[in-house]
Amino acid sequence: MKWITARRRHPLAGYVVVILALALFGVGFAALAPTSDEARAQTLSAEAPSPEDVDAANGKTIFDQTCASCHNYDGSGTYDEDGNVTNGPDIREVGSASVNFQVSTGRMPSMDPENQMPRRDMVMSEQDLADLIAYYDESIRIDGAGADIPYDVPGTAPQASDFEDEDAYQAAVEEYEAEYDAYIEGADDVDMGMKLYLTNCAHCHSWSGGGGALTDGRWAPQIHESTPREIYEAMVSGPGAMPMFSDGVISPEEKQELISYVKTLQAEPDAGGIFALERVGQVAEGFIGWTIGLSLIIACAIWITAKQRAHD
Amino acid sequence: MSKTTQAPKALRGVGNYIDDRFHLAKTGEKNLRKVFPNHWSFMLGEIALYSFIILLLSGVFLTLWFKPSMMEVVYDGSYERLQGVPMSEAFASTLHINFDVRGGLLMRQIHHWAALIFVASLVVHMLRVFFTGAFRKPREINWLIGIAIFTLAMVEGLFGYSLPDDLPSGMGVRILQGVMLALPLVGSYISMFLFGGEFPGEDIITRLYMLHILLIPALLLALIVAHFMILWHQKHTQYPGQQRTDKTVVGTPMFPAFAVKAGGFFFFTFAVTAGLSAFVQINPIHLFGPFTPTSITSGLQPDWYMGFMEGSLRIFPNTLDFTIPIGDGYPIVTAVLVPGLVIPGLIFGALALWPFIEQWITGDKRARNVADRPRNAPTRTALGVAGITFYGVLWLAGSNDVLSETFSIDLYLTTYIFRVLAIAGPIVGYIITKRICLGLQRRDRETLEHGYESGIIQQLPSGEFIEVHKESSAESTHVLKEKPALTSTALEEPETDDKGVENPDARKGMGKLRRSLAHWYTKDDVSFEGVEPFRGHHTQDEGH
Amino acid sequence: MTEKNTNDKNEAGADDERVVGTPTDTTEVVSEKTSAHSESEHDGPYLASETHHRPEEQQRRGEKLAALWFIIALLGGIGFLVSYFLFPPNAAGEPSIADPQIGQFSNMLLGGTLTLAMFGIGAGMTVWARNVMPHYEVASPYDELPSSEEEKSSFSEFFMKSADESGFTKRPLMRRTLIAAMLPLGLAPVVLLRDTGPLPGDQLKETRWVDGMRMYVEGTHRYLRAEDLENDPYGMISALPALDDEGYPHGISLVDQAKSVILLIKVPEEDWKPGMDEPVREGSDETHMNWTHQGIVAYSKICTHVGCPAALYERTTHRILCPCHQSTFDATDAAKVVFGPAHRALPQLPIGVDDEGYLVARGDFNEPTGPTFWEYRG
Repeated sequence: MKWITARRRHPLAGYVVVILALALFGVGFAALAPTSDEARAQTLSAEAPSPEDVDAANGKTIFDQTCASCHNYDGSGTYDEDGNVTNGPDIREVGSASVNFQVSTGRMPSMDPENQMPRRDMVMSEQDLADLIAYYDESIRIDGAGADIPYDVPGTAPQASDFEDEDAYQAAVEEYEAEYDAYIEGADDVDMGMKLYLTNCAHCHSWSGGGGALTDGRWAPQIHESTPREIYEAMVSGPGAMPMFSDGVISPEEKQELISYVKTLQAEPDAGGIFALERVGQVAEGFIGWTIGLSLIIACAIWITAKQRAHD
Repeated sequence: MSKTTQAPKALRGVGNYIDDRFHLAKTGEKNLRKVFPNHWSFMLGEIALYSFIILLLSGVFLTLWFKPSMMEVVYDGSYERLQGVPMSEAFASTLHINFDVRGGLLMRQIHHWAALIFVASLVVHMLRVFFTGAFRKPREINWLIGIAIFTLAMVEGLFGYSLPDDLPSGMGVRILQGVMLALPLVGSYISMFLFGGEFPGEDIITRLYMLHILLIPALLLALIVAHFMILWHQKHTQYPGQQRTDKTVVGTPMFPAFAVKAGGFFFFTFAVTAGLSAFVQINPIHLFGPFTPTSITSGLQPDWYMGFMEGSLRIFPNTLDFTIPIGDGYPIVTAVLVPGLVIPGLIFGALALWPFIEQWITGDKRARNVADRPRNAPTRTALGVAGITFYGVLWLAGSNDVLSETFSIDLYLTTYIFRVLAIAGPIVGYIITKRICLGLQRRDRETLEHGYESGIIQQLPSGEFIEVHKESSAESTHVLKEKPALTSTALEEPETDDKGVENPDARKGMGKLRRSLAHWYTKDDVSFEGVEPFRGHHTQDEGH
Repeated sequence: MTEKNTNDKNEAGADDERVVGTPTDTTEVVSEKTSAHSESEHDGPYLASETHHRPEEQQRRGEKLAALWFIIALLGGIGFLVSYFLFPPNAAGEPSIADPQIGQFSNMLLGGTLTLAMFGIGAGMTVWARNVMPHYEVASPYDELPSSEEEKSSFSEFFMKSADESGFTKRPLMRRTLIAAMLPLGLAPVVLLRDTGPLPGDQLKETRWVDGMRMYVEGTHRYLRAEDLENDPYGMISALPALDDEGYPHGISLVDQAKSVILLIKVPEEDWKPGMDEPVREGSDETHMNWTHQGIVAYSKICTHVGCPAALYERTTHRILCPCHQSTFDATDAAKVVFGPAHRALPQLPIGVDDEGYLVARGDFNEPTGPTFWEYRG
């Protein structure tokens, strides 16, 4: 105690107390928050299929090494004595769209089956993923159950690292962009896209695609970086707690309207100023109004009335 | 330095013209000589006044184009992304202001930021008045007017937020209607009358518009003028200091100094509002899209000043709901009624009644012009902090989904945490604040008695180390010495008279209550009686 | 900015001998130099002891600084006018503020120059008041508020005499009839509000859903079939009744949308809970389960708390959550409230298929939709 008594009058003592309090708060927060591996969001995804190029045998090796420990060698999942899923569920009927979505957004293979996986870099190469999907379609999937990969919807932009020379890369980028624009601009009914998005998606992913809270510490991810294909795959496969929207309920053309709506919205510059507060809305606005707006004005008042010399 | 005493001819002409008609020379001089205490915390109310002026100016600009109509139209204006979308005329005209009127978007953002700052400045102004006891006699009525302004400002803001008919604003109206419907007996009638039928109907925007631009601003303006005239007549309070007494105010005169300062401050307020509006996007209704009653977004919040009501709606459980078992049964929806009516009623009611409660407890009927230092009224300060904590917890609870997502905390857990905090927080806040106040009082007494700790360590001939205490400035000594003792007339009357007969006042219920409240209000006060201000160094033998 | 520095220096000096938390020292202690100066040639409006002149040197600097601020403000003001004409509105052609990017530039330029103009004037005035004008420390009495006893008694005597003379107190017949005459007029404003809206009647309790009415996904106009949901073992979709009213872009008014919108949810058979076997309302033969069709259940999308669309559906927990106030309903248990403030379960809509395989309603909801209100059970 003496140690504290001696130092509590130090000019920096106040700051130390504040920092300690913050640290304590941080520890408390860490105790409350469910652990999860956060990772940078950036992804690669599958290119168009080319049956001669895929190697299902390699796919099997990958499956057995990285997937089977949780989903079992036949994809039937792992269970305890009571029949409850332990690590991984049955994936024989989820469809290749689901596999592609989970792996290409880096959510699978999961380090921590207990918790929701955030978006990460894909852990395998494009080629490996294509092989894996070929093996899945061939040997795991039952009767073509679930949804297929929507190859006609634009996926991830080409990565420079996948190309030998600059020209080929540029050409690929141009081709991709043309394809992307064609898809987004191919939609022409903003009203349909908006209604579909706002009535079926925005309650979790927010009007801006910024995501939102779910129950039990889970969350609906933000979809800023999601490619049209990933959004499409998520809709047909229903990853995590997300319900499914099959092509029967929302047809591919309608999905195009929906995806185009949200992607156009996200790409639009913020007319109101460069600081858009992450498009969080009222909570952020109130915070700024108090911390910046009112504080600056009060700072001006302090300037106006500040004492200038002893006699003031 | 010029020595003009005679006004220039033109000015004299104007002055005489006016004086011939209004007889203003004497009143005019008196008012130009009015004295304003020179402290920034006395300018908080001015922020509110200036924001209100900004709101009036920008609001008038917006009305030139805004169409308060719920007629559904298919948009074919300049903003490409929403072309072909059905929307109300209100929303379409707001898009027009954004994208076809130069400076329209800026004005909309100025209007919205000014509104947020207006209500925020009302709050800090009110807190300053509360914690310094500036609401005491003779200013109770002005305090009540202030509460009315605050309440109206919230309603005004809510209605304004609803006008553009965008997705979040329509939901605000929906929640308002939901609260109305829960009213026992008359709920559905009030809702039908206000909306001209079922929700959302076709009238509500037109009606809210009338309330937003005519009725409520007129009331606000009238109350603000009354507030200001009363203030002008009674003059500001002032912080304690030499020469500052309940009879004399010391400060800067209106003319010339304060007029220039206050004028400059108006421009500062406008500058900050304009600066935010230029660079920080607020309420981008064109991105939200038009309101439909079937759509909803996550992270839906009202503007900050409605946050505490939103929060109480979120955390109040439905377990207290019950049904009156008559006929088919009639529900009493406490989960809506308590957060929607009882909690704001409690907060505003307590604020409005406090000056009278405090006066009743202390029996202090004198006119008070010298402000209290918050520490010198520990019970009041602690109650204030408890109130802030309660309000703050509810306010935070209004953003529990954003907090849950940002900090990855279980959504339901945040609700439980806020339920506990809403009750425990104020109690803890009260206790801690009161202890801090009393600690500060004790330190004040020490400083008064022994001077302030100079930080200089001296070694005495005996080898003992002491910290040299120095004499405070005359001003500080004065402030410390003049600490008013907390007393109550209720405690001055003896419980029994000299013949042992009980005091009849103290025996009755109210008298008893008042005595115990007076005891609670004053008991811990640190007495400064008999404390001799420190003069010069203590020497060793004087005892240290 | 030189201003600021002087402040800090002087403030630090004053702070030494001040109790933390008290206002800084004010009053008296006129510094010798300035006081000697001012008293000798004082001719200001306030007492010399209350007027502390700035040294001429400071005043000169102050004037220059204030003028500099005013020039900045002038430039800002000119900039504002220029930026107004820099970006034309859409009608005038490109580049137009209707383009969000150009709108952003326009907004920032207009706002930025306006800020500069305003801040310049504010800062200039502050420098003027602080460096050019003397510092005043004027004492002035508070007005004595209560009037003197004579004034009070004189007023009261005058008032009472006049009141008596007027006959208001003495002539009750006239007084009472006058008050009576005011009463109906006082009620008039209330009565006049009667036509602001219709009486509720049963409107709030009924929707337009009828037996055999088809439904479509909001935003599309394609009627849903039961088999459309075949491939969604965990599907969910927001749907509207197939109304076709004239005068509305989608054939349905916002009022009807607000009342009759539903959430269709597909639930795997093994996930249903026992609550589904309870009757849909007291004394009814129908159970919640009867009202589903091939695992598809239809609930009202409007929360029974205060009316937000309760649309957040988690397929893993089957929770339907309202994003506004987090009322949570269990989709597999007749949408009973499992968390949050809602008073009652979400109303359920009976569904089936018609001859052509389209999903249809088989009647109205089991309870009124929307926020709970007083007479909802009646």
